[in-house]
Amino acid sequence: MTNHAVTHDSAKNAALPLDTTDTAIATAATASGTAAAATSDRRATPRRSTTRRSILRPTIWLPVVVALLVAGVLWEVVAINNTYLLPRLGMIGQAIITQPAFYLENAWVTLSEALIGLVIGFVAAFIVAVIVTESGILRRAIMPLAVVLNVTPVVAIAPALVVAFGFGPAPKLIVTALITFFPILMNVITGLNSVSPPILQVFATLRASRLEVLTRLRLPSSLPYVFAALKVVFPLSIVGAVVAEFSAPGAAKGLGTVISVASSNSRLAVVYAAILCLAIMGAVLLFLVTLLEKRVLRWHESQLLKRG
Amino acid sequence: MNTTRVNASPDQIVVSDALKIYGGSGSSAEVTALSHVDLTVDRGQFVSIIGPSGCGKSTLLRLIAGLETADSGDVSVFGADPDQACAAKMIGFVPQVPALLPWLSVVGNVTLPSKVNRRADALRRTLPGHVHRDAADPRALLAKIGLGDALDRLPHQLSGGMQQRVAIARAFAIQADVLLMDEPFSALDEFTREAIQMQLLELWEQMRTTVVFVTHSISEAVVLSDKVVVMSARPGRIEAVVDIDLPRPRRQGLLESAAMHEYEHLIRGKLQTAWAAGPVAR
Repeated sequence: MTNHAVTHDSAKNAALPLDTTDTAIATAATASGTAAAATSDRRATPRRSTTRRSILRPTIWLPVVVALLVAGVLWEVVAINNTYLLPRLGMIGQAIITQPAFYLENAWVTLSEALIGLVIGFVAAFIVAVIVTESGILRRAIMPLAVVLNVTPVVAIAPALVVAFGFGPAPKLIVTALITFFPILMNVITGLNSVSPPILQVFATLRASRLEVLTRLRLPSSLPYVFAALKVVFPLSIVGAVVAEFSAPGAAKGLGTVISVASSNSRLAVVYAAILCLAIMGAVLLFLVTLLEKRVLRWHESQLLKRG
Repeated sequence: MNTTRVNASPDQIVVSDALKIYGGSGSSAEVTALSHVDLTVDRGQFVSIIGPSGCGKSTLLRLIAGLETADSGDVSVFGADPDQACAAKMIGFVPQVPALLPWLSVVGNVTLPSKVNRRADALRRTLPGHVHRDAADPRALLAKIGLGDALDRLPHQLSGGMQQRVAIARAFAIQADVLLMDEPFSALDEFTREAIQMQLLELWEQMRTTVVFVTHSISEAVVLSDKVVVMSARPGRIEAVVDIDLPRPRRQGLLESAAMHEYEHLIRGKLQTAWAAGPVAR
């Protein structure tokens, strides 16, 4: 993990960033366990422009619909005979329809925890990444700490944070920030180091200052990696918020609280309804990031298209 | 490096008795990249450095560019040391690959050098070797090099040849006193390469800059240069210096002329002697 980003410091040529984006995603994703979503999404990129036009063609939408139907039927088959293990789909739908405000309100609480925590984690990780790439001494000081932080399961810290900070939003934000910190850090470090040596040479002969190299070369170069990280940490931030809510049940709102309260009361339909809400939230966030990436990284994406 | 500059002339680039050794710090074997290299380039001259791979021609260029420092010997760029010359933006570097910023348009890429290190202009006026020229208009420059209708395109929308022309325009745009080009056309196909050579010559004739051009193509060296420096490998040293006395402006027809072939023949001979004389390692 650490070696990965560090070895990219120097020896790298212009053709490489494409590969490293994938590796960076994979690296960050293995850390979090959500590899599939991010990588498959990246691979689909080159076909994106054609996908949009042909979205109405059955060959595009039919597989998804069939897969969903099959999954739904399998679910029902299991649920019909085990009603107290798995609620029927209809019951989940009913749980949501009968009190939509309840789910919306709790989803909003979890979402805002996740997003604020993510912003904190993102800003912190970005600042640390810049510091670490600019100074070798600080890198040697900070990176071991960051790695220790990464290998410590955040789930294990959450109860301790609740003890320390109470049942308010603070522990939730901290957990979310912690869980999103490391993937962003590693990707941004790799991104900041992804400027090709010839470009650096040209600007070395112009004696561009370190600040100029940072703002004009390194930061824009890191954008593809930042987006790769965002695709991993947006869903992760929800995980962080829910985990923190699990550790402080009954005190505040949030879908995590809803799940833990409902499951202790054996209200399975409510549990699954809350899970569905979380899944939808994650999917929407991922979609929004991908949309933003498409706009911002036009230069990078199209390069993929050309090479791919 | 810090010895007094005996040969520092405000109108010449002078490399004297340069030595550069790589490795040798315990783990790896020492490689003498440059040994006793003397080179003088007059202002306004187009000089090519040619030689087999590993002869240190790129190292020599990088010494002048201030990207590396010599272990002994002296380098001066129009009276200044390479470090000062860079700080004053007197050097325009064109690497082997175009090295454009993919998120900037063609114009953006060409104007970026003038936006960084803004103190250079003031410093430049204080140096004796600097001849003042008004800043080049990047759009006019790009039009001259045949990219007038690609100003707002992104690098990935351009062919390899067009990208390399942008890189050349970028180097010209800061009105550098010397352009250092490191095999800039080696990745291009034959036709594109010949077209770009002519465009480079036209631009050079108008702008009257000094050019040091590293290449491994004999015909390219002859077509472009006033002077061809032939280097040989292991250790990297200068084998011969051939003055190319062909009329300018040089145009496409020159490629077939007998005089040109004679020069090519001469330089090929020098390269072969260099190859035979050196300890052949491969």
